[in-house]
Amino acid sequence: MCGIVGYVGSNDAIDVLLNGLSGLEYRGYDSAGVALANGTLAVHKREGELSALESALPTEQLRGHSIGIGHTRWSTHGPPSNLNAHPHTDGEGRVAVVHNGIIENYQSLRDELTADGVTFQSETDTEVVPHLIARALEEGMAPETAFRAAIDRIEGSYAVAAVFAGSETIHAARQASPLVLGIGDDGYYLASDAPAFIEYTDRVVYLEDGEFARLSPEAVVVTDSSGTVVEPSVETIEWDAEDAGKSGYDHYMLKEIHEQPTALRQCLRGRVDELTGTVTLEELDALESSSPVQFVACGTSYHAALFGATLLRDRGVPAQSFLASEYSTDRIPVDPSTLVVGVTQSGETADTMRALREANRAGAETVAVTNTVGSSAARECDHALYIRAGPEIGVAATKTFASQQVALTLLACRLSNGSCHGVIRALRDVPDQVQTVLDTSQATEIAAEYAESDAFFFIGRGYQYPVALEGALKLKEISYRHAEGFAAGELKHGPLALVTEETPVFALVTGDDEQARKTVSNVKEVEARDAPVVAVTDGRTDVERYADHVLEVPASNEIGAAVTANVQLQLLAYWVAHRLGRSIDKPRHLAKSVTVE
Amino acid sequence: MTVRSAIVLAAGEGKRLRPLTEHRPKPMLPAATEPILAHVFDALIAAGISELTVVVGYGRNRVQSQFGPTYRDVPVAYVTQEKQLGSGHALAAAESTVSGSTLVVNGDQLVDRRIVEDVIDAHGETDDAAATIGTIQHRDVSEYGGVLLEPDDAGVSSRRVTEIVENPTDDRSYLLNAGVYALETRAFDTVRSANSRGGEHSLVDGLTALIDGDEPVRGVRSKGIWIDATYPWDLLEVADALLESDGGVESTTAASARIHERATIRGPVVIADDCVVGPGAVIGPNVCLGENVTVGSNVVCEHSVVDADTRIGPNATLVDCVTGRGVRIGAGSTVVGGPGDVHVGDRIHRNEGLGALIADRVRDGGGVTYAPGTIVGSNAVIGPGTTVSGTIDSETEVRS
Repeated sequence: MCGIVGYVGSNDAIDVLLNGLSGLEYRGYDSAGVALANGTLAVHKREGELSALESALPTEQLRGHSIGIGHTRWSTHGPPSNLNAHPHTDGEGRVAVVHNGIIENYQSLRDELTADGVTFQSETDTEVVPHLIARALEEGMAPETAFRAAIDRIEGSYAVAAVFAGSETIHAARQASPLVLGIGDDGYYLASDAPAFIEYTDRVVYLEDGEFARLSPEAVVVTDSSGTVVEPSVETIEWDAEDAGKSGYDHYMLKEIHEQPTALRQCLRGRVDELTGTVTLEELDALESSSPVQFVACGTSYHAALFGATLLRDRGVPAQSFLASEYSTDRIPVDPSTLVVGVTQSGETADTMRALREANRAGAETVAVTNTVGSSAARECDHALYIRAGPEIGVAATKTFASQQVALTLLACRLSNGSCHGVIRALRDVPDQVQTVLDTSQATEIAAEYAESDAFFFIGRGYQYPVALEGALKLKEISYRHAEGFAAGELKHGPLALVTEETPVFALVTGDDEQARKTVSNVKEVEARDAPVVAVTDGRTDVERYADHVLEVPASNEIGAAVTANVQLQLLAYWVAHRLGRSIDKPRHLAKSVTVE
Repeated sequence: MTVRSAIVLAAGEGKRLRPLTEHRPKPMLPAATEPILAHVFDALIAAGISELTVVVGYGRNRVQSQFGPTYRDVPVAYVTQEKQLGSGHALAAAESTVSGSTLVVNGDQLVDRRIVEDVIDAHGETDDAAATIGTIQHRDVSEYGGVLLEPDDAGVSSRRVTEIVENPTDDRSYLLNAGVYALETRAFDTVRSANSRGGEHSLVDGLTALIDGDEPVRGVRSKGIWIDATYPWDLLEVADALLESDGGVESTTAASARIHERATIRGPVVIADDCVVGPGAVIGPNVCLGENVTVGSNVVCEHSVVDADTRIGPNATLVDCVTGRGVRIGAGSTVVGGPGDVHVGDRIHRNEGLGALIADRVRDGGGVTYAPGTIVGSNAVIGPGTTVSGTIDSETEVRS
């Protein structure tokens, strides 16, 4: 979970690369580096955020160099350090390499090269690549042949780019890690994700697995694994670079929380018709199978998947959700009638991709529910349902979770029989209900009251159970406080032992059905242990009598309540983290898109 | 030098527009279906402005989440004015984001591109003006700022300003200050250092200080459209003016709106994205339905501004009605239409053309009759079959 960039053209490469790296920082940020090629290679890298690299660069000396590659890293092999930062070079400084992914056979390659007398500078898997290339160069191969020979030797997932001393060409290859090329007026670009160069061009080529690219000042040439030239299809992408601005908010996360009403309108637009009670998902026109449904996802997307599975079961469709990282190793029975739905914001989540590939292999029909057009998930699944949330920069997912909840509700309507009229009516009311929460939330005050607590517990039943899990995850991610979500009924089967007067319990109680009433009973159990209780409620039960504080949500059906209750918990997590002075948009140890398993 | 950047003042609540401003500032109230501020941005961009700085304060989340980092490809920067201490203070907050000649515009009044263009052109015509003020002829000048100009200068469109008077009561021939200014850097310095009155720094006081210091401040008289909503029911007139004027708002139905084939649309109307209009409904003339409004079967709605996410139940009738966002009008409720007397605090506005003003998220249980001039505060709940009149406070419940 790193990000790579590259540029060949008529501008100063250093500016393009630094801009590009800042556009990719969400992918990881424990170190960064660049290599510029102009006769000799100039390599600079630093541990820490991109600003550490920027301040260490002799920027003026690097002017006039028009070819380069860059990297922002999130550690998988070896701790963050100057030495482990990319780019990596061979001993003689003939080639510099950046890489995103994992080289699975790196240990055997490293042993082999070490036996050959190669000295390694870093603990990374990537460093085998420049040494393999250098050995091929020594054998008399031209740079491109040497690059291909090295790539042939490595196994695993990679997006790799290399520059050579004395050459004006970048060589790149992709296998199971994202890599996109940009075709601009002032040069050619490559990156793990288009935001890296979108301020320069919106014309892109998505490299396929097994393909190679050669970027020179004159042209981009794409070849397949055998070296045959492939005519790439150039696509135009729609997000504009300014979308990345914070528009007056202190953090992307808060901006994205406030963008939710708009994001949900976009998700629904043109897809629901309240007059006829029908849901139309054009992307899924060719979808055939309907059940059983297996969801695969990780992290926040997994919580959305739990919500989606509950919805489907409620509508009579057998459905289950699985953690993607468990699914692929867990021998889950899949047959051609199974529909496997991967939920992934980025469309690049390695665990989810692995699970979806397993499902494809087993012959199941697959659907990607994703925010990213052209992502690996969108391209490799049989169908892609876009959640249309717009770019999300904050590492902690907020608006994309809400959009996943709504998109999965639409999917549930599409997959089940029976009228969707009530559901559509409820969905159309959700954007304003979210706006109501944003206008009136007391989360700031409650965060002030409890920010220093030992631990935070979240409980909910039914549709609010995934919200309890998500509320706890959000708080963990950005505040670094201990937080756990439980099915409300499970509390008394163990976790209640942890509940003290120092541990606030956030109880999600909406509606007035049996589930809500049972959760009120669980709240009483907690209250009897003197724990502070914060009820997230629409006021339709008497839970307020047992609560110390209330976070109010508008009365609505169970779908709207699950969206709005979650918004309250997003705000709570944000304000707790804010009080504790955390790095909210870039929490420690975390990356936006997890492209390693 | 051509003016390319603009500072838009959008930090004030606009208290006289309560209860509509309980959750958002006046610039975010609907002029037809789009916020007033969107119209101001449109005028600025049409006049060639390519950099926008918005001073936000009250309800700033609403402004920021609506417009984001760019509006129609023009970058938008936000500056927060924590306390509303006057337009001069707001300007000082934004000053660091701009350099050179800059336009300053009120974000809560509708101006059309002609006024903006006239100010930019007039300011560019002379090389000595520290500031140029846009003015128009207007009968209500006594409620706003009056500007007095010297007699005609030969050859240029602007004239020197001799005096600026707030709420003028004498009968000199004042032009109305349209709240569109071009300022040079040195004018900013004077505005910042001008004495405050009662803790508030006003931009007009700063301009007066410039005039007193014998700096040339010029005014240009424009024939462009300028509209201000002083009271919430003025939103009806604002919509009418926009629907009827050239360069206002075109009568349109968004492609994403769903209109039943047996509904009748009588233009001019504006029906925004995601609206639903049921069978037998008659919409218009002079109706603006904001985003995602739902109109039930057989509803009659004329001369009304219905803000986003509102639902109007079947068989309801709305005449001369203004609603906030997310309102629920129940089945068979009737807003009979103006004119009526409107009570605001201890003032009575007689014979206003208002059927009813129903603020954000009011819940009406159906069969409710609204007497002419009724104002219902936000989140109020009105029981089925009730007849209401006068002013109903926010968060209250009314039963028959």
